[in-house]
Amino acid sequence: MSQGHSHGDGGADQGHKAAPMVEEISDSEVLEIAVRELAIEHGLFTAEDHRRFTEWTESVGPAAGSRLAAKAWIDPAFKARVMEDAVRACKEIGIDWAEPTGFGTPSDYMNLRVLEDTPTLHHVIVCTLCSCYPRPLLGMSPEWYRTTNYRRRLVRWPRQVLAEFGLVLPPEVEIRIEDSNQKCRFMVLPVRPEGTENWTEEQLAEIVTRDCMIGVALPRPGRTADVHPVHKARRPVQSSPHSGEATK
Amino acid sequence: MSAKSDIDLGRIELLEAIRSEGKTWDVLAPRYGVSNPNPPWKTSLIAMCDCLAVSGALPTLDRRHAEDELTKTVYSDVPEPERQLLALVHTMLSRGLVAEGDLVSRMRAVRSRLEAA
Repeated sequence: MSQGHSHGDGGADQGHKAAPMVEEISDSEVLEIAVRELAIEHGLFTAEDHRRFTEWTESVGPAAGSRLAAKAWIDPAFKARVMEDAVRACKEIGIDWAEPTGFGTPSDYMNLRVLEDTPTLHHVIVCTLCSCYPRPLLGMSPEWYRTTNYRRRLVRWPRQVLAEFGLVLPPEVEIRIEDSNQKCRFMVLPVRPEGTENWTEEQLAEIVTRDCMIGVALPRPGRTADVHPVHKARRPVQSSPHSGEATK
Repeated sequence: MSAKSDIDLGRIELLEAIRSEGKTWDVLAPRYGVSNPNPPWKTSLIAMCDCLAVSGALPTLDRRHAEDELTKTVYSDVPEPERQLLALVHTMLSRGLVAEGDLVSRMRAVRSRLEAA
């Protein structure tokens, strides 16, 4: 018997507990399987295609983007290559935008631009049309990124929306919203924060969270997770007909 | 901004029944002490959306515009990711990519398989 692993049979390894599982079968779970099986039977796609995309979906995440940003911070030559041709530079950190089909996915076009922040310029990405997102680098988009609330309001009231994420930028910092489209994906390269001198690439990558690369947060020492308050949508308190913001 | 979709917003009996079941992941996960924020089927759902787009059966923009319409109307009270699933299936049914009767039968068969001892 191998050591250190048993499945609740009261054997030698009493310390091991199986992770909790949902032990009900929901109609949603059944529905997802049923519609997928029918789609395959109707020839809408193949089981092999579905397996390939599922594996790809599970393999991508924001860690890749974090590595890219950290490497760009400490390696000026790499940063220059990122700014020149980000898709090609991604290969240096093991990200191939051509996966999983050989020509990318249907919604992640093989065209990426990295937007470099400066002390006086801050970028934020959005997709006002749907929810385009640089999935090979950042993984699946967060739920809030897909909402019409974020998409609609960010371009009109960026400072207010950023404040709702806990990011209050001084007035002298220009905010530039970059709208993803059917031809290009974007990622924000934030300013390397003070207090990270002599840090390793791995240390730096830990503070470049998903939200930093969207632009709704700033990296800082000690901040390694995206936790922010959730606010309900609201109109600006001090909007006026002359400010270009809605008044109702 | 979200573009207007030509999706039929009429209620679909099968999906209404699922909507009212109340077994969404945000209810089930805490009931069993599961911390994963997403159900296991979510990646499969995302892959299905990609597959439908690659084959041309349901282009991404068409799907997302329909989803925008459906999630702010018919399924506005459903949490994610069930809302995305219901919107996708609603769109597929509306476009005739699958038939409701076939789906009802297949769901019965799938549940029977999953619950087999």
